[in-house]
Amino acid sequence: MPLLEVARLTVRFGGLTAVSALDLSVEERALVALIGPNGAGKTTAFNVVTGVYAPSAGAVRFDGREIGGEPPHRICARGIARTFQNIRLFRSLTALENVATALVGARRSGVRDVLRAPGWRGREAALADEAHALLERLGLERFADAPADALPYGEQRRLEIARALATHPRLLLLDEPAAGMNPAEKEALAALVGRLRAELGLTIVLIDHDVSFVMNLCDRVAVLDHGEKIAEGRPEEVRRDPRVVEAYLGSEAEGAA
Amino acid sequence: MENFLQQLLNGITWGGIYALIALGYTMVYGVLKLINFAHGDVYMVGAMTGFYAAHALGFASDPSLVGFAVTLLAAMAVCAALGALIERVAYRPLRRRGAGRLAPLITAIGVSLLLENAGQLVFGADPKFFPALLESRELVRVGGVAISNIQAAVLATALLLMAGLEFVVMRTRFGRAMRAVAYDGPAAALMGVPVDRVVMGTFVLGSALAAAAGILVGLSNPKIDPLMGIMPGIKAFVAAVLGGIGHVPGAMAGGLLLGVVETLVSGYLSSTYRDAIAFVVLIAILLYRPTGLFGSPQAEKV
Amino acid sequence: MRTAVAAALCVAVLAGLDALLPQLLNPYYLTILTRIGVAVIAAVSLQLVNGFTGQFSIGHAGFMAVGAYVAAALSVYAGAGWLAGLASALPLPLARGLYFPVPLVAGGLAAALAGLVVGIPALRLRGDYLAIATLGFGEIIRIAILNVDAVGGARGFSLASPAHPGLDLRYEGFGISYAVVLVAVAVVARLVYATGGLAFRAVREDETAAESVGVPTTRVKVEAFVVSSFFAGVAGALFAHSEGYVHTNSFSFLRSFEIVVFVVLGGLGSITGAALAAAVLTAAPEVLRGLGEWRMILYSVLLVATMLLRPEGLLGRRELVPVRLGARAGGARAAP
Repeated sequence: MPLLEVARLTVRFGGLTAVSALDLSVEERALVALIGPNGAGKTTAFNVVTGVYAPSAGAVRFDGREIGGEPPHRICARGIARTFQNIRLFRSLTALENVATALVGARRSGVRDVLRAPGWRGREAALADEAHALLERLGLERFADAPADALPYGEQRRLEIARALATHPRLLLLDEPAAGMNPAEKEALAALVGRLRAELGLTIVLIDHDVSFVMNLCDRVAVLDHGEKIAEGRPEEVRRDPRVVEAYLGSEAEGAA
Repeated sequence: MENFLQQLLNGITWGGIYALIALGYTMVYGVLKLINFAHGDVYMVGAMTGFYAAHALGFASDPSLVGFAVTLLAAMAVCAALGALIERVAYRPLRRRGAGRLAPLITAIGVSLLLENAGQLVFGADPKFFPALLESRELVRVGGVAISNIQAAVLATALLLMAGLEFVVMRTRFGRAMRAVAYDGPAAALMGVPVDRVVMGTFVLGSALAAAAGILVGLSNPKIDPLMGIMPGIKAFVAAVLGGIGHVPGAMAGGLLLGVVETLVSGYLSSTYRDAIAFVVLIAILLYRPTGLFGSPQAEKV
Repeated sequence: MRTAVAAALCVAVLAGLDALLPQLLNPYYLTILTRIGVAVIAAVSLQLVNGFTGQFSIGHAGFMAVGAYVAAALSVYAGAGWLAGLASALPLPLARGLYFPVPLVAGGLAAALAGLVVGIPALRLRGDYLAIATLGFGEIIRIAILNVDAVGGARGFSLASPAHPGLDLRYEGFGISYAVVLVAVAVVARLVYATGGLAFRAVREDETAAESVGVPTTRVKVEAFVVSSFFAGVAGALFAHSEGYVHTNSFSFLRSFEIVVFVVLGGLGSITGAALAAAVLTAAPEVLRGLGEWRMILYSVLLVATMLLRPEGLLGRRELVPVRLGARAGGARAAP
């Protein structure tokens, strides 16, 4: 059974159909890319899977369970985490605090925090340790006490990934994780993503514009254009597909065929 | 039946006044996305200015249409200047800094408090009696409903001013610029629209209308005091939200509607709850249709 | 263990001051101290919602009114009997000390309930709309109370029981008043400066991102609102029992604005900042006699000037005593 299944998903905003009858199936531990020109509906699809929007029609199933229309925090608890196209860190909180927030998520209890029964301090310390460990894994340890908006751009993107990982997801959705990065940074990111899949057993779906970044990294690629899926398959197949080439013609198409 | 019509007339009259004040709120919100809490107090300053001007110019003891008109214009001019001053000193620096939405709101509250308290100091906290610039007499009786010349003056002035504003907004270059800034400020700036001047002009227009409302209220309800702007200010704001904040015809409609509803409910049910009606309406709109009767929803892009 | 020790220390100090201060200070100054306490509780509780959760609420006085009136009504219509009963068996100061927390808690709970009722619909709104809705609710509450004859209506309500005339229901003890202040500050600080408390600030920073990492934003906002309303109610109850008389005029939106001023001037996001601002701005006009009508002008000028010159307020988001989330420290100032 695929971990994520999107069946005939349609999303309409008033008169505009952003996503039309999208079918997508993602197996566990797969690394899938969602590509397509601007406005193709990729982020909208992400937003539906993560609960920001509800589907207008069609179904979204995670681990066999229908999740369409559930609120984002509930979907997060089920094991889906994401990063955003435009970085959405908690800017005035430190890097550590950004991650720690996600570690706690919905499991906080105001009552326990106020009363501080024995064991509270131990739990707090454990959380802090885990947060530090995550930062370390992503090479951000030295920024632990820096406010998130003070981090350099590339590090901010990695912090967003660290924060997403703090929710212990099974499925990670990365929305343009390499945007604004130079080739060296992109290579490092690609290596990181690959490592995360291997070490944490994650299933990853990512959106990106940079076709070559995606080609070398992913198992499968799905191509969206004007809300519809126009191609899907292994990277080499998709790259040669004439419909894909045409969709990208006229928009920035780094290395597309 | 005649009582109902009489109440309706009263409601429309009050509605016109709320509409005049509401227009200022809605225009400023349209261009700045700011709730100008101080607007109700500008209305108060208008009434006070009228009071002093009428006495100084001798119209207080010698009522006449000319006296009314001159007082009206004087008050509008003074408040137009006040509005411009407030914008320049309190709001523009925040805009320069890109201060977000919260800081201007807090500043607006501060300016409002300042006007009220300075008003108490300068004008004295005790209520004054607005001079009768027009000698009150019954103008006409239509089917048992009496229309006094004062009510006629209030309605006529309000309608004229609203028509004038509608003309400015829809038919002049300035109005077009205003609508452009309200629609998309940054884009308008990029297209060469002088945003600062448009904003200032918006404040000028809105404040002038509020001043007019102050004079009209002074005519019909002569007791004026430095805190008189608080309640009508809030109610006019509710009216603006009711019509769809940022939407000019909406503010007019909202004002009239609120005036009528308030007068009818207070007349037929209970007058002690008169002030509460506006708040109940406010809560109802915010919960069920926050964009108001004519407004359009704005979605956030994720 | 640390909590217990700190708590014991506080109790000792407060008990000492409670006994000592009436000997040293003129009753007028004791009243001022209580007013300061009320202001601090109101400001610190509002800070939770406005500063930490980023929800701009400007109807706080409405919840203070609920607390004040419920507490007063309880004392007048039922509490007097309990107090009389206690006083017949125990020395009067002890009886009063035992009784007094009851109306305080009752006022707080009533206000918390009001907070829940108001919060659930209102917190669906954002930014300006939320502000206006809270303002509206605050006024609706005030007008509603004004129309209840049983609590005096437009005449105001005196803390005098018809069944027990002569029984003094007022309470101005420094000890309990400031114990409540400390509890309020401690609760807010503990809530916010725990790892779980990051949720409040996450909601402030970016609701969408907060939701995406599992923070149930609506629940968090409501929680902040309810806790905040509880303490507003307690502050109101304290005020009622200290003055001995309540009138809705004390709880108009002007009072709400005044508390907003404390929070903004002290720094949106600083508990100590809000407390300091509340204390200073409440004490100053009393101490500087003759400032009278200039007080509000001063407030408004300060508010505008602060927004223009130092928008982050006095302490910004920092506390007087630095608080760090970490493996060891993770505590708030003087966390008892």
